[in-house]
Amino acid sequence: MAMRAVAVRPWRGLRPAALWVRPQRLQHEQLPEQSDQPIQMENPYKEPPNRCVLCGINVDYKNVQLLSQFVSPHTGRIYGRHITGLCNKKQKEITKAIKRAQVFGFMPVMFKNPAFLTDPKICNIKYPE
Amino acid sequence: MQQSSCGKQPETAAVLKRTVEALMERGAVVRNLENLGERSLPYKISKHKERHRRGGYFLIDLEAPPTIVTTMMDHLGRDIDVIRRAFVKHHLSKTEECSGIIPVNYNDKLVAKK
Repeated sequence: MAMRAVAVRPWRGLRPAALWVRPQRLQHEQLPEQSDQPIQMENPYKEPPNRCVLCGINVDYKNVQLLSQFVSPHTGRIYGRHITGLCNKKQKEITKAIKRAQVFGFMPVMFKNPAFLTDPKICNIKYPE
Repeated sequence: MQQSSCGKQPETAAVLKRTVEALMERGAVVRNLENLGERSLPYKISKHKERHRRGGYFLIDLEAPPTIVTTMMDHLGRDIDVIRRAFVKHHLSKTEECSGIIPVNYNDKLVAKK
């Protein structure tokens, strides 16, 4: 049986990719300056950044009611960042203000002022101290 | 800004007068004097051989050279009617730039920066 040895050359009728030209009838209406590449723009679906509770509120050492909201009712200790959920700047401001108020004699140290015990809860504590 | 808490009523006016005069002597410009009310102190304060439970809070708004601070603290420390004294700088509030909480990429922080 004579089997014609066909040389394995499947690329016989094809051109190398770099030389391939889009045929005229498939050519899109595209000016040479415009390209197919995506236009660089900032994310239009970007969500506004998370704001902490005190964003925009001025923290004052005289405002004992505000400061007492970030202090434990049982021991008077200042809650950490993971409990209050404040951003770095505001947490630092609150801590400094609380320490100041305690030294100046505005705020009690070992407990929370009983008048402010029924204030709305801002901090999410899992296990109250 | 200065805050002092002092004892009983008729002397209060005298104390304030003394303090403001002392401040003006040292070249301070007193802008405002606020009474933050008289209330029971958050904790008992022992000062000048007495245990105080009530006090009046006053806030003096003033402009002065920083050299005044030590001398005034001395002066107020010697005043029997002043329980607690303090000087505090004016807080220049710039809260408009608060950009919210930026999520921190802890993964990047772990890898050593070189």
